[in-house]
Amino acid sequence: MRLILAILKKDLIEFSREKIYMVLSVVGLVLFAVVFWLMPDTVQEQTTVGIYPGENPLLIQALDEAGDEDGLEIVRFAGQDDLRRVIAGNLEAWIGEHGRTILRDRSAGERAPENARRVSPVIGIAFPDAPVSSELPHARIYVNNDTPREIRGAMESMIREIALAFAGAPLPVTEPAEDEIILGTDRLGRQISMRERMRPMLVYFVLMMETFALASLIAAEISQRTVLAVVATPAKLSHLLAAKAIHGISLASLQAIILLVATASFTTGNWFVLVLASLLGAGMFTGIAMLVGSAGRDFIENLFFTVALVIPLAVPAFSALMPGVGAAWVRFVPSYGLLNILTEVTSHGAGLSDLTIPLLTSLAWVAAIFGLGLLVLTKKVRSL
Amino acid sequence: MSQSQEAKAIEVSDIEYSYGSTKAVRGISFSVDRGEIFGFLGPNGAGKSTTIKMLTGQLIPRSGRISILGMAVHGHSAEVHQRIGVCFEEKNLYLQMSAEENLRFFASLFGIRRPDVKGLLERVNLASRSRDRVSTYSKGMRQRLMMARALINEPDVLFLDEPTDGLDPVSARAIRTIIREKAHEGTAVVLTTHDMYEADELSDRVAFITEGRIHAIDTPENLKLKHGSRSVTVRRRMRDSEVEELRLELDTDTFSRKLAEATASGTVMTIHSEEATLEDIFVEVTGRGLE
Repeated sequence: MRLILAILKKDLIEFSREKIYMVLSVVGLVLFAVVFWLMPDTVQEQTTVGIYPGENPLLIQALDEAGDEDGLEIVRFAGQDDLRRVIAGNLEAWIGEHGRTILRDRSAGERAPENARRVSPVIGIAFPDAPVSSELPHARIYVNNDTPREIRGAMESMIREIALAFAGAPLPVTEPAEDEIILGTDRLGRQISMRERMRPMLVYFVLMMETFALASLIAAEISQRTVLAVVATPAKLSHLLAAKAIHGISLASLQAIILLVATASFTTGNWFVLVLASLLGAGMFTGIAMLVGSAGRDFIENLFFTVALVIPLAVPAFSALMPGVGAAWVRFVPSYGLLNILTEVTSHGAGLSDLTIPLLTSLAWVAAIFGLGLLVLTKKVRSL
Repeated sequence: MSQSQEAKAIEVSDIEYSYGSTKAVRGISFSVDRGEIFGFLGPNGAGKSTTIKMLTGQLIPRSGRISILGMAVHGHSAEVHQRIGVCFEEKNLYLQMSAEENLRFFASLFGIRRPDVKGLLERVNLASRSRDRVSTYSKGMRQRLMMARALINEPDVLFLDEPTDGLDPVSARAIRTIIREKAHEGTAVVLTTHDMYEADELSDRVAFITEGRIHAIDTPENLKLKHGSRSVTVRRRMRDSEVEELRLELDTDTFSRKLAEATASGTVMTIHSEEATLEDIFVEVTGRGLE
């Protein structure tokens, strides 16, 4: 242990002398924390729909009585052209006192109304000015060019519903229509914000930076052949490898934990699982650092090998940021389990018992990568 | 006296080593006494470094036996490493650390609580720069620090690989003085060098190695006597003003008579004695040069 501690102390002195790694570590942590807190912590859950009801008294009455439902805000417009211009972004719509819609043309220098809140309908439905009673109403839908496809589909369904109501036909559902079954945690009103989704990715970046620093330290030890001087003393290669492993795992996990603290992650879920995930992540990236350090000879080569290994592992981090877009193969990326654990704990409050399988899977990946790193580094040193 | 105090400093018996199918060392045997400086001479690729690596425990011989201070290197590596010092050819120092930090780190690996870092640095004339990072040192300064590092544990056996390579004459002389002092104190020194002058000046015995085999082991003097020739060159001006040069072999029965004749006739301008250099002997014994 004395020998490992002596090598560890030396490694820390060397690490502290490399300004670039110190700056990267400190500035990286601060920047990641700042980026996290700058990200929006709320999710827009309400869809705003603009409606021009025309001269149809039934529809006007229905809109007056309906009010806003959960997740849907209806803004009534007095003219079809106003609705079209608001959806196109040429006019601003505001809701004043008593729910009155106020329009402002800001490009023409009109000022924002007082005591009013701005609304931005993503879709507009315009009914005919004077419908012919013998015909079903022919509605026109205005859609902004960046309105998501799913909202367009939902609006089409809503218009069909209104059309059926006009025609006096009952809706083809059994009352009560609110027989809703929530699969998983009901997050209505508590959607996961972009800020929360970023946590796993930021932790990944911190671990990645430490990988680069440790890989450079190892590469220098090999290229300058100082490792030979160490093993010509009572210290053995195993002492050197143990010191490198402790150095890598402790520094990387410490920084990951500092970031988790700085992003208030420990208040979101099981702290023990988060610490465990940080240690596993640090172990995985220490193994990668050993691989990179064995292959790279200088700064540029280390950078190249780090990027080559770390970019594929980053895919699950981006998938966590944009749920639903990740391909099936992402599950087989070694870092998937770790990032999944971080997401489940910080976003869904999962505990140790919920994450047994991902933890075991991650442990297996960490053992494989760490073992491979040790093996390659040992062979490299023996070949000197 | 314990076993290790009685034993020779180094005993090597018929060691072999191969890199794949290439035999680097083919049955080498030699021994080194305490206080002896043993020169290991050979061209690049002769097997010197491989032999030194086996002696310092970095490689395990395919066959044969190595003992240092009476201990088998590969059975007692920690005990052996505790008592040897190695000065590598490459300047493998921690560049971001100071000379003092480098020495303290290696002292800690040997378990030395209060190393005489200051004294060592004074000995290699680096005391004034002891706190500067090694990255700011010249090649000569780094080499002197390498020497200090090899001495940090006051070793009983010292392995020096090209210890004065690239040094200015003053630094080289300082290193040679330290080597002699250590040998005088009883440290066995194995010196690997290309510098035949250095080997001749320092070594009590030398070994010639090429292609993984030792061709000769003896004192430089004996090798010269056995394999080299000594001569005297007389330059004289004759009566017709012509300058004549006579080369007389020293180790012949007729030398004295021929020298007397040469000095009697004409005006002697210069007399030079010549003896074979270690390099000449190396070429004669091994059939090849050191390049």
